[in-house]
Amino acid sequence: MSHALNSALHPAAVAAAAAAGSIDWTEKRYLIVDDFVGIRQLLRETLRNLGAKHFDQAASGGEAMIMLVKTHYDVVLCDFNLGDGKNGQQVLEECRIRNLLTPSSVFLMVSAEKSVESVMGAAEHQPDAYIIKPITEGVLLTRLNRVWQKKQVFREIDQAFVEKDYLRAAKLCDGQIVNNKLHEIDLLRMKATLLLKAGEPQKARAVYEQVLDDRDYNWARTGLAKIRMNNGDHEAARQMFQGVIAENRFYIDAYDQLATAYQLMGKLEESCDVLEKATKLSPNSVVRQRRLGLAALKLGNIPLAERAFRKCIAIGEYSVMKTVDAYFGLARICGQKNDAKEALQVLAMAQREFTGDMVQLRAKITEGLVYHESGDYRRARKTGDELEEMLNDDPERPDTPTCMELATLLFAVGVKDAPVDLLCYVIKNNHDNMVLLDEVQEIFEKARMGEEGAELIKSARKEAADMMNKGVLLWKTGKLGEAVAWMRTAREALPNNMRILFNSAQILISHMQQNGYNRDLMDEANGVLMHVDNIAPGQQRFAQLIEQLALLMPRKDPPPDEENAGVNEEGGE
Amino acid sequence: MEDQAEDREGAHELFLFLASTAHDMKNSISVLTGTLEGLLAGADDKDVNHPAYPQMAQMLYQTKRLNDNLIQLLALYKQVGKPEYPFDPRPQHIGELVQQVASQAKVLLASKNITLKADFQSEMVWTFDEDLIIGMLTQAINNAVRYTHDTIRIAVEENEGYLEIRVEDNGAGFPQSMIDAGTSAMTGITSGVNFMTNSSGLGLYFASEVAKMHKYRQRNGSIRLENGGQLGGGAFIVRLP
Repeated sequence: MSHALNSALHPAAVAAAAAAGSIDWTEKRYLIVDDFVGIRQLLRETLRNLGAKHFDQAASGGEAMIMLVKTHYDVVLCDFNLGDGKNGQQVLEECRIRNLLTPSSVFLMVSAEKSVESVMGAAEHQPDAYIIKPITEGVLLTRLNRVWQKKQVFREIDQAFVEKDYLRAAKLCDGQIVNNKLHEIDLLRMKATLLLKAGEPQKARAVYEQVLDDRDYNWARTGLAKIRMNNGDHEAARQMFQGVIAENRFYIDAYDQLATAYQLMGKLEESCDVLEKATKLSPNSVVRQRRLGLAALKLGNIPLAERAFRKCIAIGEYSVMKTVDAYFGLARICGQKNDAKEALQVLAMAQREFTGDMVQLRAKITEGLVYHESGDYRRARKTGDELEEMLNDDPERPDTPTCMELATLLFAVGVKDAPVDLLCYVIKNNHDNMVLLDEVQEIFEKARMGEEGAELIKSARKEAADMMNKGVLLWKTGKLGEAVAWMRTAREALPNNMRILFNSAQILISHMQQNGYNRDLMDEANGVLMHVDNIAPGQQRFAQLIEQLALLMPRKDPPPDEENAGVNEEGGE
Repeated sequence: MEDQAEDREGAHELFLFLASTAHDMKNSISVLTGTLEGLLAGADDKDVNHPAYPQMAQMLYQTKRLNDNLIQLLALYKQVGKPEYPFDPRPQHIGELVQQVASQAKVLLASKNITLKADFQSEMVWTFDEDLIIGMLTQAINNAVRYTHDTIRIAVEENEGYLEIRVEDNGAGFPQSMIDAGTSAMTGITSGVNFMTNSSGLGLYFASEVAKMHKYRQRNGSIRLENGGQLGGGAFIVRLP
């Protein structure tokens, strides 16, 4: 087929092309975000040439946010670099988190050169497309139509995803692949993600392998490695992540995963090094800077931790992702540098910028640690006493990292029983997390209780394991009613132990599979699973159990001929 | 990752040469951009309606394009022989590729009264890094503008399992030194003078690196220059596996 392209594309031709893409871009509402007036004028001209009539412009990220809150835009053209204040990625993140964009709106990220962000595969919030300047009408129109078509292909899949109906979404991917060669790779990638979410890592692996059989995609290799890592094969995963980085040193996701693999292997220094490299390549992620700061703080690398926390606070200033962890981390660093004054200022700032009981509690703990580390033992003791009293008054315990910091402080100021109780509580709720147990042991060592600590860890672990095994034994010997009752007791004693929670749900499900649907047991199982998802979101076993639970729901129409999900034996010990 | 630089003797010198040249060019472009920006930003209502205003806007746009291309080249040349450039191949429609390349070139071609012809299968799908290939083809067209009489043709077809894209013109053809530069950019034998003394050497090297990044089942992409083709002038050819 031969085309004579008129060297100057006539606006009418452009309009015709738009019609061919079967969507009319002329009546859409556009927002142009760029800090440079010349670029805004050029973009306005470009849009006018496309026949667009309604457009607004913003000169900064802050201005853009004000307009995005007030007005619904169909298309946002946002430059990545916006001078001082929010950058384009932060505008996008805030839009997504505050739900300012509808599923049909198009967010295009504009940049002067091909950005690392566009291929690193890590950013949680991705724009619909990246465009490199200069933007011409033809390129803009092509990309808009492409995004629109892709949105059509993914509309039902995305909807099922939002409803957490991952298996249906994965089936929808298969349906779309048949007719969409152009989007086949994206659909397969989505399918693998969905299968992982649905707790089907083996099927996800098959998809990744199918993709890799044709072409070497970083995301597919990284996906395979993540499955290995989740299976506990940390060394193999480490090698695979490193292989991806050797091939493409811009693929940031592989760095983040490699750092996790090292962490799981207990190699904290290597983990920290990898995070440092990743932040050099892509410095503007609040999440990654926080992770680097925490890793460096743990290793006692004061200058590195300070840099990371300060950077984290600085980029957080304009980001919805901003985190109080960076403030607490920086306060600790200041304390270790004997600058208690700045540490307290940072803590005051944290309490101004963030609210909630947890923030108050953590600020108090950090304050005590700062006093202690900067040598003000009298004030440290006073803070410790207040916290000990609080523990005595309230049986509720905070999350694991906070418990450990609190125990560290209490030991440091000379309290003994309260921190021992706290650490035993942590062990019982995480009795098979070996990396965490090592950290607990370290806290005991620092308190000169190494041997005693080892004994305590051993007996606490045994207590948790015994509780669980008793339930599993009852279950396996068919005493389902007793097993259900026992697991209730176990849950009460160890409310945040993941293994107990999962096995609890599993036993409830088994009970219903054998004895039929029961509304109360259904609610109980559902409640247990929601609690697990709350303390550790995104677990594979969560998805599997939810799936089994859904099959037990009474149906009006006859059940479909899906393979019956059998009792999951994995939980036994 | 730090170990590639050593095994290339001339690479470091070449990089310094390119970096300083590019830096110099960037300075010149920045001055140009700044001057145009100043004039445009200072324009009042009367100036905005002056016929020269949109033309100046066009000048600014072109100057910025030059600047962007230079940034791309700099990124590519940070480590000669090992492109430090985010590479992101995806399946693309050929029709969309041609459409975008044509739109990038249209102002330049219109101002020079050059017709662009295109032969391609619109619905054909191939996997490549779209931004890099658009950049390469836009440069090839800009180059053809210098050599052509009044027509440029872009042709895309599948050939022996490769995607073959040709940018042809109806001028007198490339001089032999240029065709040799194309060969040397591809073979990596760049120690000879023709690579650096030929004004198109930079663009050809860029193109050859981009082509070589494209790999599929043990086959690599390539570029070459020749004379002839359907229009009888020069032809730039890129093949992608």
